[in-house]
Amino acid sequence: MGEFQPRIVVFACNWCSYAGADLAGASRIQYPPTTRVIRVMCSGRVTPGFILEAFHLGADGVLVTGCHPGDCHYISGNESAVVTVDKTARLLKLLGLEVERLRLEWISAAEGARFARLMTEFTEQVRQLGPTPLGNRGTGGEA
Amino acid sequence: MDFEQILHRTRALLCLDCGKCTGSCPVSRVDVAYSPRRTIESVLGGDPEALINDRYLWSCLTCGLCTTRCPSDVDYPAFVIAARIEARKASVEGPYAHNGVMQHLMGIMTQSVEQDRMGWLTGELKTVTQGEDFYFVGCLPYFDVLFEELGVVSTDTARNAVRLMNAVGITPAVSDDERCCGADLLLNGDEEGFRELARRNVGVIAASGAGRVIFTCPECYNAFRDDYPRYVGSLPFDLVHIAELLAGHLDELGLDGLDEMVTYQDPCRLGRYQGIYDEPRLLIEATGANLVEMRKNRANAVCCGSTGWVSCGQCAKGIQMARLREAEETGAATIITACPKCRIHLSCALKDAGDEAEERRAIDVALEDLTGLLARAMPRDELGD
Amino acid sequence: MDTARVGVFVCHCGSNIAGHVDVEAVAEYSRTLPGVVFVQRNLYSCSDGGLREIKAAVASERLDRVVVAACTPRTHEPLFQEACREADLNPYLLEFVNIRDQCSWVHMKEPEAATQKAKDLVRMGVAKARLLEPLDEQEVPVEPAALVIGGGIIGMTAALNLANRGFPVKLVEREPELGGMMLRLHMLYPTREDALKVVQERIAEVRRHDSIEVFTSSVVSSVKGFVGNYDVMIEEVGHGEAGGAETPDDPGRCGDAPVPRSATAGAIIVATGTNVLQPDGMHGYDGKRVITQLELEERFRTNRLDVGRVVMIQCVGARCAERPYCSRICCTTAIKNAMEIKRCCPGAEVYILYRDAETQGTRYEAYYTQAREAGVQFVRYDVERPPEVLEERVLVYDEMLGARLSIPCDMVVLSTPLVAAEGAHELAQTLKVPVDEHGFFLEAHVKLRPLDFATDGIYVAGTARWPGHLEETVAQAYGAAARAATILSKEHVRSSGIVARVSEHLCRGCGRCVEVCEFGAPSLEETSSGVKVAHVNMVMCKGCGVCASVCPTGAMQARHFTDEQVTAMVRAALEPALPSFAVGDRS
Repeated sequence: MGEFQPRIVVFACNWCSYAGADLAGASRIQYPPTTRVIRVMCSGRVTPGFILEAFHLGADGVLVTGCHPGDCHYISGNESAVVTVDKTARLLKLLGLEVERLRLEWISAAEGARFARLMTEFTEQVRQLGPTPLGNRGTGGEA
Repeated sequence: MDFEQILHRTRALLCLDCGKCTGSCPVSRVDVAYSPRRTIESVLGGDPEALINDRYLWSCLTCGLCTTRCPSDVDYPAFVIAARIEARKASVEGPYAHNGVMQHLMGIMTQSVEQDRMGWLTGELKTVTQGEDFYFVGCLPYFDVLFEELGVVSTDTARNAVRLMNAVGITPAVSDDERCCGADLLLNGDEEGFRELARRNVGVIAASGAGRVIFTCPECYNAFRDDYPRYVGSLPFDLVHIAELLAGHLDELGLDGLDEMVTYQDPCRLGRYQGIYDEPRLLIEATGANLVEMRKNRANAVCCGSTGWVSCGQCAKGIQMARLREAEETGAATIITACPKCRIHLSCALKDAGDEAEERRAIDVALEDLTGLLARAMPRDELGD
Repeated sequence: MDTARVGVFVCHCGSNIAGHVDVEAVAEYSRTLPGVVFVQRNLYSCSDGGLREIKAAVASERLDRVVVAACTPRTHEPLFQEACREADLNPYLLEFVNIRDQCSWVHMKEPEAATQKAKDLVRMGVAKARLLEPLDEQEVPVEPAALVIGGGIIGMTAALNLANRGFPVKLVEREPELGGMMLRLHMLYPTREDALKVVQERIAEVRRHDSIEVFTSSVVSSVKGFVGNYDVMIEEVGHGEAGGAETPDDPGRCGDAPVPRSATAGAIIVATGTNVLQPDGMHGYDGKRVITQLELEERFRTNRLDVGRVVMIQCVGARCAERPYCSRICCTTAIKNAMEIKRCCPGAEVYILYRDAETQGTRYEAYYTQAREAGVQFVRYDVERPPEVLEERVLVYDEMLGARLSIPCDMVVLSTPLVAAEGAHELAQTLKVPVDEHGFFLEAHVKLRPLDFATDGIYVAGTARWPGHLEETVAQAYGAAARAATILSKEHVRSSGIVARVSEHLCRGCGRCVEVCEFGAPSLEETSSGVKVAHVNMVMCKGCGVCASVCPTGAMQARHFTDEQVTAMVRAALEPALPSFAVGDRS
């Protein structure tokens, strides 16, 4: 019974994307309860280490969200996020994980609907990929 | 294991308090607050708890220089690793470099992943999936991503290694399923992770049908030789480092034609740990290059400043800068490394050695992997172009 | 932090949260989390009563961490931080968990899943809270003086406004005289005031003011420091005789070789204005028969105008691939000048060839109607079929008529857009503030902070920011002056405790942090042993944490969002005890 409910970790910057999540809430736009948001001041604060930590522990997907290019509260932090996500995606590919499990999206404070849509869309995307082979719920050691 | 046992097993109980370890320690030389002698004394004095929470627990490079000089044969690196295992049991971890990315990669590789790591393999290289020889590539493909900004292409080593193997008639087996050897997990005190990686690697190599494993990374080589048997039992295959292997094929290689001055950085685990000093030198000289030694070489060689992807700070930088200047003083144009990690660490220090604003000259040496030097000295028709 | 004593306060938010999340279950679950010693539900945590209960619990339960599970930290965190402060708890020991905007409001039809998510979010919050550290805010004295860059009408207006509030102002103008673009204009729309007269009055007012020191033929060559304490260098640029500070006993002037003057300012206003695009190579522009609106203004001023038929072409070099923006003032300017032509050359015919008549606001809409009534002809052209300027006539395809018109004329006036002033980019780099893709200065937030830069204490007004009508830009000048005054009128500025911190022993002095910081907060300093390590200026640091992300060794830590704290949240989010985030079978 029930379809696969992925576990998705979302990093959201304080100024744009987290505010977008707030607006989705204030607008009562419904989306799947599959995501857990971790607030950081800037998407540039997210490191490959944080993302890999999540995958290591069995996250089915990780979504990094920040201000649109040019809108970064810290001028260029989101450019740093691009580098981080790109690098991490290349590591995931080497590890044999689908790079589609990791996404970087820009969500402004005005884009509540976009926040909700992305949560829905990404949940669906990860659902298509199926459960991650990692984490304690994976097949574990094939002793 | 409690500390009583650790002191016995590593012979630390026999410490004479002479201080030769601290006198020879490259870390102590830069950071005077660090002392292997005092570390052992503190545990002998009955306070292992303090060591577990001491940031200096993560300072030791496990380079083994102290051990070669210790009159009581105390195995200080083994003592440190045992203490780190205890620390980890108490949920204490070291200050990982690169936001712990390497630790995560290793941790993920202990699980069921189907890696896609052979993108480095170019068409002209001859490899197989089953065969007599298995080439253990190590983490080179991951290093390419992680250390891109240093301009170091670690997989060049893998390509050159296969080129050289092919030249002496070896077609090695390579595998996507190969994991990190785990040496660094062990250095971080993660025995369980290490055991799992060892188990998986032995399985992958056994499945290839190989009777011999060839390494380019001395850390992998050393882990297989010294640590794997302790954790997963004796190995059903021979182990050989590429330098050892190629030194036996000098005639077939026909190396020649280089006219340059180089120096050689002994990797701790190839040199002091496995006693391989002559083969790399033999190979370098065979290329025609003029090998000049640094003041501290062979068993006295200084570590590249960082191990286990932990605690890579001011002290590491100090050790690296001193080593680079030592190399520069030889007049050599290039430091030849036989370990991908030495190459990465020294390249990193070299990168910010110069200071334009202060018109301070950058250190005038380049870095090259041993396989790179050898590949340059191969006869043209062997290069497959 | 094994010894942390965490108190969790779960807010019902009336029925906003409690209507969709089982808050009682969330509270019960919170009790089971490591470190939690006290849990309470509040009908409204943010009410006086709710805050009182939190403060009382901090005291009676000796709480040293507070987790509030309620709405969004973006609006309510300061309130609860203040409550902590009043309870003698460092405000940075508060962790805010959002179980409303991210939970009850967005999973309204799935109360079980919403409750599970709320529990997870509280678990993540508690995991971080246990690792929170008390942080200090720095107090720095403010230099109550301002620097205004740009001596046009906007810069002068801002300078006068601040000077009249009692703050000394240094006003820096690149040209040999004050006045800027206004010196070249004829009449102001829609009032028909004499532009020169208006600006000259303003110049005289500035000159008379004791608190304004004027530097003409000068630029700001370097800016260091931070809000409340900017150290600036003012340097002369070659314009011949005049230049530099205009006080006779100026210590900056020694003989013939002027040296840069240093000054300190608590706040900086950028009012460097704009340029008009020179339409070289467009529509036969020659500066004689085919001229720009600005050149037309100059002709009005010198009374050399005697024309019979004039064609004005709008959007020349604007709203095109290279400059996709609307320059906003050109339509109104064309209307004004068309009517001026009608006035000075009775019987003259004026055609305005336009794409869209952008006369914003009712006032300028009326102005447009007035022009039509005065007989100005408006012809709409299609960008695909632009007007062709020939010897003595202009050909244009009239979209409305669907016919090609041939308009004889003896003058063509091109309306070209405002473009970024030369030197704007250099100044942006000096100030470390951004410009947009067109070279205009970019404000911190188009709606919430339209006159601020992201860098505290630096403000922008006028066409340096974006093309605008004089009445708008003058309003911006007052606004920017008021923003600057909010800093200058304080004795101290307080910086956030959320800043980066360096563990020196882990620092390699590689300088990656210095490279990525947009605010100049980290710098490399040589230690006594000769190695370089990074230091962070806590007042300049904005707390984004990008430096910590790029630090290869973990030496740089973003306080309040440390590697350890964020990692703890990731771990808590994925705690294996739970088979899945959402309720229901996983596979």
